[in-house]
Amino acid sequence: MGQEEEKGCSENGVESKEEEQDEQENNVLRFLDSLDSYLVLMDSLSSTLRQGWMELASARHSMGASRLNSALFDLKHHNAATSLEVNHHDDTTMQQTYFNLCKWASPDTQNLCSKETKLEEGELLQRKASSPQIRHRGASRSSVTVDDQVQKERSKSLSVFGALVSPKLRGAQLSFETALETLVEIANIRSSILCTHDQVQEGMKTMT
Amino acid sequence: MYGFEALTFNIHGGYLEAIVRGHRSGLLTAADYNNLCQCETLDDIKMHLSATEYGPYLQNEPSPLHTTTIVEKCTLKLVEDYKHMLCQATEPLATFLEYITYGHMIDNVVLIVTGTLHERDVQELLEKCHPLGMFDSIATLAVAQNMRELYRLVLVDTPLAPYFSECITSEDLDDMNIEIMRNTLYKAYLEDFYKFCQKLGGATAEIMSDLLSFEADRRAVNITINSIGTELTRDDRKKLYSSFGLLYPYGHEELAVCEDIDQVRGVMEKYPPYQSIFAKLSYGESQMLDKAFYEEEVKRLCLAFEQQFHYGVFFAYMRLREQEIRNLMWISECVAQNQKSRVHDSVVFIF
Repeated sequence: MGQEEEKGCSENGVESKEEEQDEQENNVLRFLDSLDSYLVLMDSLSSTLRQGWMELASARHSMGASRLNSALFDLKHHNAATSLEVNHHDDTTMQQTYFNLCKWASPDTQNLCSKETKLEEGELLQRKASSPQIRHRGASRSSVTVDDQVQKERSKSLSVFGALVSPKLRGAQLSFETALETLVEIANIRSSILCTHDQVQEGMKTMT
Repeated sequence: MYGFEALTFNIHGGYLEAIVRGHRSGLLTAADYNNLCQCETLDDIKMHLSATEYGPYLQNEPSPLHTTTIVEKCTLKLVEDYKHMLCQATEPLATFLEYITYGHMIDNVVLIVTGTLHERDVQELLEKCHPLGMFDSIATLAVAQNMRELYRLVLVDTPLAPYFSECITSEDLDDMNIEIMRNTLYKAYLEDFYKFCQKLGGATAEIMSDLLSFEADRRAVNITINSIGTELTRDDRKKLYSSFGLLYPYGHEELAVCEDIDQVRGVMEKYPPYQSIFAKLSYGESQMLDKAFYEEEVKRLCLAFEQQFHYGVFFAYMRLREQEIRNLMWISECVAQNQKSRVHDSVVFIF
């Protein structure tokens, strides 16, 4: 009986070691996936920013330096058009930080958070490729309302340079907006990298 | 019928026409632009420009250079040429030369008023003003709260006063009102300049009519495209179009109701001079429209030098120099941002 119990215990021990190894491998894979995503996002950020700066230069060339310069920025007190929420998630193993971007969410339009605007992200990127002003027909009423509100907020932020700005400036605005979203994704990925890195290190300590 | 200018033009205008033709020969050539496009840094651009007429203006600028510095110093060359011509000019050439700067004056007024609305320091705004558009009481613009005060306190004693009759209101200044004011003033200025040139008659009237009509049409197209998707109503948009030009009045009627770039293209392609411009663009795209318009403008400005004994050469020179400065700005930005592959997106060769 004692031998059977010992055999059972050793089998359980082998199984738990295998489970630990599997978990450790999963942690390593998650870490490497996060790292890969991080590198891809950094590359994407770099090219988006380059595009944005080029579009801004193009808008300045089109509209003239007197219409597009830093002396026109509004120094009056006003609410931020975009804010960043930072949430900490504590689970049994690790603490991870999540960043959430609330775009174009002035106090009057509290419902416009990045979750809703992300639904339009694909449409917005498509729109940017053709024209910033083309409306999507057949969209649901709520997404059209959100879309209109977002467009209004965008136009309001550009109005410091005048009410009639070049489409190139609107394009630059979209590029920098995309860059901001990418930055938040990078922050989330970094948080994930740090978390999985800690898990991998924990796993290595446990196994040795 | 014109042609008798040859008998009398040189009495008062001969010296300055010779001067402006000399200045024209100093404009950068395609070879200069090719050298500039191959520069790796802004200091390389400065080195290449040292062999041109811009050399004396840039030679004392310390490194590291900024693109705005290059543009500012090159603009000083344009201002110096202009001031020399203005101080040597007799009437009516002096008035003609002054008309050329009213567009910059309008831009400066709008810059000061907009900056003041945004609670910016007046000195900071004055530094950003175009030197050709400066006038004595410009700093006083900062005290005005609405257009009536703007006119009464400051602009009544400036050349822009006659252009204010259509936009005097007691409404407080905001971004939309300022934009409408800008475009209304520019419309009134263009119409006034056009009438002045018509009164001069002869080759000046003919050449300037063509150039100013093109300017009016281009503005109509830009206003239309920039107002798509904004709160500007169709009626307000139509009010901003000038009352002359190839597009007046039927083209303006159609442009006023355009909702996207393809509709604008549909309107403009009915006019043969603009077919070639829009033929260079693909459908739904407006990125290259500015360059296409600038190329057409440069072609017309260069043609102005083919005739003698008229004032159009002065206007053409000023505009060609401004185009050259825009080219230098674009090349500098491409070099500074390490995007030399985009240089030819916006550079317009003059020769």
